[in-house]
Amino acid sequence: MSAATHGEGLLEVRAVTRRFGGLLAVDAVDLAVRRGSVHGLIGPNGAGKTTLLNLIAGVYRVSSGFLRFATDDITRHSTAKRARAGIRRTFQNLKLFGEMTALENVAIGLHAQTHAGFFDAVLSTPRHRREERGITDRSMAVLQFVGLAGLAQARADSLAYGHRRLLEIARAIVARPALLLLDEPAAGLNVTEAAHVSDLIARIRDDGTTVVLVEHHMDVVMRVSDEITVLNYGRRLAHGTPAQIQEDPVVIEAYLGRAGETDRAQA
Amino acid sequence: MAKAQVTASSHRGAHRRGSVHPAALLAMAALIALPWIEPDKFALHVLSLIAIASIAAMGLQVLLGYSGQLSIGQAAFYGIGAYTSAFLTAKLGVPFPLALIGAGIAAAIASLLMVPITRLTGAYLAVATLGFSIIVYLFIKNEEWLTGGSYGFIGIPRAELFGYVLRDARSSYYLNVGVGAIVYFVFARIEGSRFGRAINAIRQDADAARASGIRVTLLKSECFVIAAFVAGLSGSLYAHEVRYLAPNDFTFWKSIEILIMVVIGGVGSLAGAILGAAVVVGLPEYLRAIGDYRMLVFGAILIATMLFGEGGLAALAATLGRRLHALARRLILKPTASRKAAP
Repeated sequence: MSAATHGEGLLEVRAVTRRFGGLLAVDAVDLAVRRGSVHGLIGPNGAGKTTLLNLIAGVYRVSSGFLRFATDDITRHSTAKRARAGIRRTFQNLKLFGEMTALENVAIGLHAQTHAGFFDAVLSTPRHRREERGITDRSMAVLQFVGLAGLAQARADSLAYGHRRLLEIARAIVARPALLLLDEPAAGLNVTEAAHVSDLIARIRDDGTTVVLVEHHMDVVMRVSDEITVLNYGRRLAHGTPAQIQEDPVVIEAYLGRAGETDRAQA
Repeated sequence: MAKAQVTASSHRGAHRRGSVHPAALLAMAALIALPWIEPDKFALHVLSLIAIASIAAMGLQVLLGYSGQLSIGQAAFYGIGAYTSAFLTAKLGVPFPLALIGAGIAAAIASLLMVPITRLTGAYLAVATLGFSIIVYLFIKNEEWLTGGSYGFIGIPRAELFGYVLRDARSSYYLNVGVGAIVYFVFARIEGSRFGRAINAIRQDADAARASGIRVTLLKSECFVIAAFVAGLSGSLYAHEVRYLAPNDFTFWKSIEILIMVVIGGVGSLAGAILGAAVVVGLPEYLRAIGDYRMLVFGAILIATMLFGEGGLAALAATLGRRLHALARRLILKPTASRKAAP
C-alpha cells in the first residue's frame, strides 16, 4: 500500500493559516491528499489537527492560504456547499440527532442527494415516495456496512458509545462522498472496537472514498494510513509513509517517542 | 455494549411516518357532528375562534417545535393577514376565497423581510421577531387610510364560498374548522418526510446538519414563510369571523398568546398546538363568570401545566391515555390473571 500507487491529488491545502486572536492555531500548512488514499493527520494535543479539519470542512475560514478540492477553489465555500460537493465529516465530540432513530440519522446524510420538498411531502407525490424508498434502502445498506443494521429503529441517544461513533460514520458515508474527514473516530473505544474502526476505514477507502484521519490511537493510524502528515504547534513537522514517519528522528523527538511509549504502556 | 432501547423510538417512529393518527380522525368526526349536538351560537363562535387560533399556533409549532426557531412576533403575520383580507374584500370586492389565499401570501411575503434574521438563534431571534411585531402594530395603528387606525376597520363582509354567504354560526364554524383541519393534515405530512427530517435535524444540531449538506438558513427561512402563511390565513378567518378589526387585537400580547398555545400544548406536537389554542381561547370564555379573577386563574393554570412537565398537554393526554388503557386491560384481564395466579 505505498503512496506511489495512488491517484492524483483530490485535496490540496496550500499555505493555510488560521489565527484565533493572537494564537496561530494553523501556521502555513501544506497538505496534499491523494485520491483513494487514507491520509493520517497526527500530532500532540494542540497541534492544530482539528482546526485544520475544520478549515477543510468549512467550519472556520482560513486567515490566509488556499484550498482546492478536485478542480474547484473551495477556499470561500460554506460548510453546506462543501458537504454537497462531497466533503463529509464526523465530529470529535459526536454530533448525532439524538431524538431521531439511527436510520433517520443516516437518511439525513442523503439530504443533498435528494430533492423532495415541502409540497412533495404534503401531496405525497410519486417522486417523494420513490425517493423515500431509495433513502431507506440506501440508509439500511450503510447501517449494514458499519454493522448497525439491527439497531436501525433505535433512538440515536439510546445507543452505546461505540455504536454512536459508527452511526456518525454511517451518516457521513451514506452519500458516497469523495472525501471523508474523520475526527478521532476511535476516541474512547476499546482495543476490539478500535480494530473494527480501522477495518471499517480501510473498507471505506476500498469503496472509493478518500479519507483524512485525525486520530490519537497510534495503532489505528499506522495500520490504516497510506500517508501521514505530522503537525506540531500548528506547523507541518513531517510527511511520509507510516514506516518513514515511525523512523523519522524529528517526529520521534517531538511526538512519537514519548507518546508511543505511553501508548504501549497503556495497552 | 448496552442494549439499545428500541420500543419507545419505533413507537414514536410509527407516528412520524406522515400517517394520520386514528385519534385525529375520531376528533374530526366529533367536530363535524358537534354543531348538531350543541347548536348554541356563542359556543360555536368560541369554537370558531379556537380553530382560528389553532391555525396560527400550528404554524408556530412548525417554526418552533420542528425547526427550533422561537418567534414572539407571529401576531405581525396574523395582523397582516387580517387587514389584507379585510381590505381586499371590503374595499376591492375580491371574493373571500381569493382574499383568504391573498392574506396568506401577503403574510408570507412580509416574512421574507425576516430572512436576514433567520441567522439568529434563541433569545436574539425572539427579540428580533418581537421588534417586527411592534413595527407592524404601529403601522396598523397609524396608517389610518389603510387600516382605519385606532377607530378600527369596519364593514368587513361575511365569508362566502361559491356564492353562498356563511350567515349563521354553524356554517362559519365549518369554514374555520375545515381550514384548521386542512392545515393540520398538511402539517402532519411534514413529519417523516425529507423536509421534516431536515428541519428536525437543524433543531437538534445545526452544525451536524450543515456538515450533511443541509442549507440551514434556506430551510429555516422556509419554515418562517410557512408559519407566516398560515398565520395570515388565521388572520383572514378572524377578520371575517368578528368582522371588525382593531389594532389592539394585534399587539405583542397576541404573539405571546400564540406562543403560550404551543408551549402548554407541548412543543413539537401538532395536536398539542390545537389543545393549547383551546385552553388559551376557550378557558377565559368559560371563566367569564368570575370576572376579573379569570386572568389570575388562567395564569395559575399555565404555571400548573408547566409544572407537570415539558411535554405539555399533549404529553399529559398521552400519559392519561396509556394509564386508562392499562387500567382497562387490568380490569378486563384481572379475572383470568387471578385464576392463573391461584395454586
